[in-house]
Parts: sequence; C-alpha cells; structure tokens
Amino acid sequence: MNFDVGKAVRMSDIIDAADGRGLIIDTTLSSVVGALPGLEDFATAIVKINQSCDGLIINPGQAEHHASLLGGKHRAAPIIRLDWTNAYRDETFCLPATEVKRLMISNAEDAFSLGASAVVASFLMGYGDDFEATNIQDLSFLARECYPLSLPLWIDIRTVGEKVSEINFEESIKLGASFMQELGADGLIIPQCLLATCRYVCEWMQIPVLVRLKQTPTAEQLSEIMHSGAAGAVLPESLFALSDYPQQVNELYFEIHQGRRA
Amino acid sequence: MEMTSGKRARFNRLFNPVDGRAVCVAADHGWMSDPTPNVVELERILKQVVEGGADGILISFGTALRLGHILRGKNSPAMLIRADWMNMPRLGGSNVSNVLPAVNFKKIATSFATDALLVGASAITIYYFIGYGDEFERINLEQAALFARQCRQVGLPLIIEPMAVGGMVTGVNIAEILIASGRIAAEIGADALKIPYTGDVKTFKTLVEQAGIPVLVLGGAKSDVPRDALELVDEALQAGAAGTVFGRNVTKAKDPRKMVADICALVHGGKTISNILNEKRDGFFRLKTIPENCIGCRLCQIACERSHEKGYGQNKSRLQIKFPEIGDELCNFKPVVCTLCGKCVKACQPNALTISATGHLTLDREKCTNCSDCAIACPFDVILIDDEGFPIICDLCQGDPQCVKWCKQNAVVTVPLKKLPGRL
Repeated sequence: MNFDVGKAVRMSDIIDAADGRGLIIDTTLSSVVGALPGLEDFATAIVKINQSCDGLIINPGQAEHHASLLGGKHRAAPIIRLDWTNAYRDETFCLPATEVKRLMISNAEDAFSLGASAVVASFLMGYGDDFEATNIQDLSFLARECYPLSLPLWIDIRTVGEKVSEINFEESIKLGASFMQELGADGLIIPQCLLATCRYVCEWMQIPVLVRLKQTPTAEQLSEIMHSGAAGAVLPESLFALSDYPQQVNELYFEIHQGRRA
Repeated sequence: MEMTSGKRARFNRLFNPVDGRAVCVAADHGWMSDPTPNVVELERILKQVVEGGADGILISFGTALRLGHILRGKNSPAMLIRADWMNMPRLGGSNVSNVLPAVNFKKIATSFATDALLVGASAITIYYFIGYGDEFERINLEQAALFARQCRQVGLPLIIEPMAVGGMVTGVNIAEILIASGRIAAEIGADALKIPYTGDVKTFKTLVEQAGIPVLVLGGAKSDVPRDALELVDEALQAGAAGTVFGRNVTKAKDPRKMVADICALVHGGKTISNILNEKRDGFFRLKTIPENCIGCRLCQIACERSHEKGYGQNKSRLQIKFPEIGDELCNFKPVVCTLCGKCVKACQPNALTISATGHLTLDREKCTNCSDCAIACPFDVILIDDEGFPIICDLCQGDPQCVKWCKQNAVVTVPLKKLPGRL
C-alpha cells in the first residue's frame, strides 16, 4: 500500500507521471523587488505560458487573485512560495538590502486552501550560523506540516550568501541537497552548476531534482542538463522580459518531455 | 481580480458596484497621535462624514465599539478596522502635534481579522513600512503575511498601506519604492492598497497597473485649500485609482460633510473641480444625467419638490425617473431633466416663459394663458401642469439645483453651457 498516495498524486501535477519530468517557471521575485519586466500585468503574462509548462511558482497573493488561471487539466499547477527574503535586493534595486532577512509568509494549510499542488521554500546558504539554523528550523517545521496534508514540499537551495564562493559553490550544493533530503523535502531545486555536480546530486537523491537556470537556456543546454539526471528545470523570472517567451517556453517544454516520450 | 465569496461580498459594500470606486475617510488618528480637535469631536465629525456619502470609514477597534452604531444601515459607509498601531507621528519630523515624543519606531499588530468581523467590519487595514531598515521591513511583512492568511480564512478583504519612510527614502527614489511596495503587498496577499500619491500621474499610473489590485490614494496632511486636495484626487483618478482614503483633509475640514460630498462628486460623479467648487457660477450651466449611475431612489425628485413646494411628494417634481420596463432588465433607470433646450420658450406665444439673464427658466404668471403649449413642446415631457393650469418648470433652483446636491449617485450633474437658447 502506498501511504503517500496524496503526495504522489499532487506531485504528478508537476512532474509528469509518464516521463518523470517537468518544466517549472518561477514568478515570485516580484514580492521582493516589485513587478519585473514582462510581469507587470501578471494575468496577461501567465495566460501566455500556463498551458506550456508543468508548474508555476507563485506567491500566495497572486495565487488567490488569479486562481482561475492555474491548475486543472493541461494547465500549470500552482506551487506556492511560502517564504520571502530580501537577499535578492542588490544595487539595481531602489532599496538595496544591507542585512539579509527572510521570513515565512504563509503555511502549508493556507497554501492547501489556495489550491496548491505543492509548496516551495528556500534554503539560503552562506549566511551566518544563526540565520542558517533558523532557516533549517522553519523548513523542518514546514516539512512536518506538509506531511499530514499530503502536500509535496520543494526546497529551493540558494547558494547566495557571502560564505559561498567559486571555491565551495559546487560542494555547497551537495551539502544543501543532503541537508534537505534528510529534512524531509519531497523535491529539490538546485542552482545551475557543473554537469558533474548535477549528475552526482541527481543520482544520490531519491527525490526529484530540478535545476534552477540562470537564464533561458538553449535546447542543447537543456538537453545536457536533462541527461545529467535532472527531473526538469526551473526558469527564472527574467524569462518574461524576452519578447518571444511564450514560444521559448513551448520549445523548452517540448525539449524536456519529448526525449522520454519519443 | 478573483476573490472568495466572503471577500467579494464585503468588498461590494466598500466599492460602489456601479463604478467600482470608493471614497473612504480615515478616522483613526486618535489611535496613533495626539488628541487634536478632530479626534475629540470624532462622533460629530463621523456623522457628517456619513451624511456626505462616504463609502467607507477607517476606525480603530475601540472606536468601532464606541461609535460603530453610526455605521448601521445597508447604505451607510463600510467599516474598515485599523488592525495595527504605530508611533511614527511621535518620532518627530511630522507635522502633527506631539506631546510625548518617541525614540524608536514601533509597529505592532493589535487586532485579529476575527476581531474585525465581530464588530461588523468590511475590511481591515494595516501598514507596510518600507525604507526604515531591513529588520523593520521584515517585521512588517511578517505581520502582513499573517493578516493575509487570517483574512483568507474568514473571507475578509485586506487593505495594505505601504509607507515609504526612513533614511533610505529620498525624493529621488520614493516613487520607485512606492511602485515596488504596491506590487510586493499584492504578492503577499493584499486585496487593495491605501497608498500615498507618487507626485505625478505617470508614476502613479505605473503603480496602479503593476499592483493589479484596487488602489486607494491617501490624502496625507491637511491641504491649505480644498482645491489642492481635490486636485490630488483628480490626478489619482486619471492614473486609474479606485478611490480615496482621506483623513485629515476631511476630519479637519470646516465642513466635513461638504468635503466628503465634493470628493464623492469627483470620484463617482465625474464632476470637475471647477464644477464642485462652484466656479461654474461664473457662467451658465444646465443639468445633465448619467443614467448608468441612477439607482432609482427618487431622492432627486423628493429634494426638488421639497425645495419648490415645501412637501415631500414626487408629483410636482421638475424631473422624472423612468423605470426599466418589465423584461428589459438590462435597461437602467433613466433620470429625465430639463436640458434648457429652449423649445418651451419658443412655443410660448405670450412670452410668459423666458430664460433669465442668470440662465434660469422663468415664468411670468401674469402673462401665462394656461395654454400648455410649453408642456406640449417639451421633448422630454418634464413640464407638468399644476392644478391652476400653470406649467411646473425647472428653474435650476436659482443656481443651486437641489437634485444635483442630493443625488449621492451623481446621476444628475451640471455641465457648463456656452450659450443660452431661446429668447432672454
């Protein structure tokens, strides 16, 4: 008997049960720096891609206000982001962060009532010890909260702190993946890294691993990532700044799924 | 924008379902700053605000318990509860009086969403301070997120009030910060914004578009002259704002009722500032109807008859309301008024009917032969004949039309008239 049938069913909204792959698009940076180029009118932007990706990472407010655009057959499943951080406010933002902060903005029950197929929260690596401990505590409680609701928990590993450099970047990803699997995550999102690292993590993990891309990849780049064992990719918000993003998403969706289906 | 049924039902009480706009008055100043006269005399002021036709009133929980009875009734303003407290006005640097200065900026949550529901609120309002430091913003967002969850659970709309304050905010970046903060609030879970004006139509339009939720512009400190406050409203509306939340500009006004009515005339009635401030009196004007605003309440007819006949009937009213025909549900009520077309004047052979030099229709009863030709000539059938055979004509109440004054829906308004028809 599969005791995790609820999670399995919801996870299949995001990772196609037929080929074990998924294409996810993140829209949540707007909660940190305001509307991003191409995402000023959220509904208009989402309508163009919600039938050509498997999941959309979305903030609770937008999930509530645009519920009819998400979920259901042939449409992107809502993955609700439950945390917020100012870590991505750099000098290009009108109020650059001077001290990194993070907080939980929602919980599993709330996301469930918003129709989430899964929830996602970040593990921010490379900041102070207190920061790391609080982050792990929040995510641990979240994992416990998701379990009785059969709600899949994705952890978004972000190696953005000052303690992460080129020297330890790849190993930091492995450390973060290890922690998060032990913590009880149902899926991981890791930063774009060397293919060797990606392959190592994907073979080791017994949960799906998605790769967060820095920018929209070419079909060849995506193919390499998929062949390293990743279950799919997460496209960043910068995607929406491209004039032909609906077409690009279509092509990437085909690239991710056609390899296995062909 | 989609909403749960509970939120939608409560929002409908706040936002006029006809135009989707709202005129709200913030009356929560006694909760956070010195008890100035507008705080001490709040009951009197709130009654006037209700008379002025406000769609919503923002008050503290304690005031709701004490004065909530003022908001009873289906057509009374919606109650908005201020669910948090802060000491910013007492930090110095603001223009309000400050008997006990504060040193450290504090903001705390003081009510739950369920508390607001208990006192009959239609929404809650909370601050979101941005620019005062990363930790202070984190606390603000944490509270905002908690309220968003609570409000979703109970179906209560959440209005977030982003405020750009602190050393990191300058004249250069304040518009950009406000634009970003509006969207951040929406992403966290706000259903509407109460936000300061960015200073120009272009940037405020960007704010409205990027927020994606209804935006209510706040008034800030009391303007020296009412025209300044009304101009702010006018510009915000041009930028796509869904209405206003004015506090001190109303509660400290000489006549709060009139100030609210004036804002309503701008927001709901499509009137111009000149029109509202009686600057129209410099020229001629006529009545104009906006049928889509009419709800068929007939208050205009009652005001008309009260003004001319000293009664409360509708039989001798100078304007008519045509009701939708059965089976024609899509049809609105249609107010029909004298448009000063002058046909009655031309039809009057004995020259009993004229248009005066001040631009009003005038009847000389000595000359009138009771022929009723004027009523027959009227294309709108608004000229009635009284028991003595004299025509009942609209004289624009000698320049102060009561129908316009009393129509809270602004279905009857005045428009300038360049040239007077007929003979003078």
